[in-house]
Amino acid sequence: MNIDEALIERIIREVVSQVVAEKAAGGGQNRSASGNNQNSMQSVNLGQIEQLVKNVASGDRQTSFGGQTSNAGGYHPEEPVHDVDIEEDITSREVKKRPLIDQPQDPEALERMMRLTTARIGVGCAGPRLKTQTLLTLRADHARARDAVMLDVHQDVIDNLKLFSVQTRCQDKNEFLTRPDLGRRLSEDGVQKVKDQCIEGPDVQLIVADGLSSTAINANIENVLPVLMDGLSAAGLRVGTPFFVRYGRVAVEDEIAELVGAKVVCIFVGERPGLGTAESMSAYLAYNAKIGMPEARRTVVSNIHKDGITAVEAGAYLTDLIQKILDKKASGVELQN
Amino acid sequence: MADKTAILSVGIDVGTSTTQVVFSKLQMDNAGGYFSVPRVAIVDKEVVYKSEVYMTPLKTDVLIDTDALRDIVAAEFRKAGYRPEDTDSGAVIITGESARKENSDAVLKSLSDFAGDFVVSAAGPDMESLIAGKGSGAWQYSMDHHCRVANLDIGGGTTNVVLFEDGETLARGCLDIGGRLICMNPQGIITKVSPAAAVMAQAAGVSVSVGDRCDELKLTAVTRQMAAALNAYLGVGTKDIDAILRQIKTPGSSDFPVPEKVQAVFFSGGVADLIYHESADTWAYGDIGVLLGRAIRESRLFTDFQKMEPGETIRATVVGAGTYTTTISGSTITYSDDIFPLKNIPVIKLDEELQEACFAGETEPVIRRIQWVLGQNDEEHFILAMPGKRNPGYTEMKRAAASIRQIMDRVQPPGEPILLVIESDIAKAMGQMIRQQPDLKRQVVAIDSIHVEDGEYVDMGKPMMNGMVIPVVVKTLIFG
Repeated sequence: MNIDEALIERIIREVVSQVVAEKAAGGGQNRSASGNNQNSMQSVNLGQIEQLVKNVASGDRQTSFGGQTSNAGGYHPEEPVHDVDIEEDITSREVKKRPLIDQPQDPEALERMMRLTTARIGVGCAGPRLKTQTLLTLRADHARARDAVMLDVHQDVIDNLKLFSVQTRCQDKNEFLTRPDLGRRLSEDGVQKVKDQCIEGPDVQLIVADGLSSTAINANIENVLPVLMDGLSAAGLRVGTPFFVRYGRVAVEDEIAELVGAKVVCIFVGERPGLGTAESMSAYLAYNAKIGMPEARRTVVSNIHKDGITAVEAGAYLTDLIQKILDKKASGVELQN
Repeated sequence: MADKTAILSVGIDVGTSTTQVVFSKLQMDNAGGYFSVPRVAIVDKEVVYKSEVYMTPLKTDVLIDTDALRDIVAAEFRKAGYRPEDTDSGAVIITGESARKENSDAVLKSLSDFAGDFVVSAAGPDMESLIAGKGSGAWQYSMDHHCRVANLDIGGGTTNVVLFEDGETLARGCLDIGGRLICMNPQGIITKVSPAAAVMAQAAGVSVSVGDRCDELKLTAVTRQMAAALNAYLGVGTKDIDAILRQIKTPGSSDFPVPEKVQAVFFSGGVADLIYHESADTWAYGDIGVLLGRAIRESRLFTDFQKMEPGETIRATVVGAGTYTTTISGSTITYSDDIFPLKNIPVIKLDEELQEACFAGETEPVIRRIQWVLGQNDEEHFILAMPGKRNPGYTEMKRAAASIRQIMDRVQPPGEPILLVIESDIAKAMGQMIRQQPDLKRQVVAIDSIHVEDGEYVDMGKPMMNGMVIPVVVKTLIFG
């Protein structure tokens, strides 16, 4: 897609610094949803961008944009640019599916085409540039993507599933992002917890890790994990004690499989978010996983989210897949052949 | 069988005037890619054999000659080089006036061995309209060009009309207009005037009766009236013949609202060739087909729209039946291996409200509804269908699974299977959860990504593509 990420990032940085300055002056207002362990800077980011978007949409645009725009591209300062409902979520599916092109030749065909893709088509333009709403949507989507990476998985989600938590060798989010190697190994404390609390030699060890999108875990895991655990138990398999890994990457499953002596290991990880969705989760499975084994031995089920394969259906599919892996004693490329 | 990636499908169409057989190969492939859940789709449809066009053998005006028909079909199997057991799927459809013959049910049964161990289907007029529109290529055209397209399949007894927009079926209908509504012998004496033809003659102000010498002027007046009726049906020309349209509406067909913004019109069926190509001999077929073709060619129906020449004309219905009636289920489903094939299972569909009750654990309204439907007929099995949810949660799914189990325990004797068809992609999860119900002594089939309506019938074949999918035929009507 033809998006100037650097530009968007710069704009967001400006917005954030402005917001932080406002907050320092006492004018800031933290509007973000209450999460646990949230990095306060990032909470401000989402909340304030929402606020800014609403300000712009509700009338500030006259002052913000009016002076800089000529009449090119059909812009008439005395008329509203378009009807932005300040109460609606501009990142929602419904709003994104609404064409922004002025006077399309075939409006119905345009809507049909827009239904077929999540790409930003049918958005029109203002002169050579994006329309205000398109730009705002991009910024909001980008903010969501950043939040997905930077925020932590809700503690409620972990508690509801009765998972205990361990951490990798990463000390914080920053280290997690910059040192992939540390995200593949458990901390000493983590190793001890796993040894103490997990049953040994299960057929299947299930793990949940934040990976690069905590949003994805928040959105899906509560509907996948119970379906899968029910399914595996009904199939008569010995299911290991599931737990949560903070700052975890996919390959941490290898160490865990070795620690507990699991035949099959399956880790749920939030996928690096894009501007399309921040809610995509994947499951990586391996038979007889070993530290340092080739990636080709992993089987992956990707795109678990509400617009991909739904969480409950993924759980049901994984139930059969895990049985197949146990049956064939193989995973990854070996399983396909 | 397990690794089969193609379906051989036979289509047999017993029409008012002609009978045809085609064989098609439906190629399946997993379009899901390496890193995601499989998504099997029919990726290619190829007609591998077309029979000649036979006159439908009749014993009398109201009886089809079953034995002669069987011989025709058996001979075509031999010519094509297939045995009945080679076919995986297929549709036998009895269309037009043939469907109203007294022994149409017996004909269907006698041909059923030819459609493999899987599918036999009969069609109502609405279904025929859809099948012909798909077979002619109109449906594909509407998708390729994102436009609104009408297909008129004009056969011997009926004209089946369907309106597509970008692959969606907007409307279906059928009129008793066709080339063989009036027939004459080689001596030029009229031997048959159908009731619908009498209506058209009266409207045209001429008198046409059996035993009359055929008079081209009079018959042209009748066929022009027919053409005018078809024009009006598509919203062209006179609008004051609604009363006539009502009289010649084929029994069992749907209302066809006057369409707007039709961009292209396809003609298929036997008369189509006579519309696109002028025939030198007016009485070549011993009926009014040539005159009807001429009348339509001279009408606004032929000039007002972008006119398309379809890929199939007279064979549109049989190609549609052989190629487009079989669909496949979603690729994440639950089933018991030994239950297939299932044939002619009626559908009881829950609307959103009843589905909501089911997901909320309220079983009584659903039980009442099912018992009411079962009370109306003496069906033993049924498919419970529902629209499903887009992204349901674990707990509500679990509740729904428990509800469905309870409901089935109330409405079906022990041992009967639970058959579920869900539109949204959640059937594997739902099926597994139902299976996990304690002491469930029933087989469970739960498939998805199939759209069915209340009162339709469903056939399910044996699993294919390593057991990932089940071939499915949805039918609107069966005889008897």
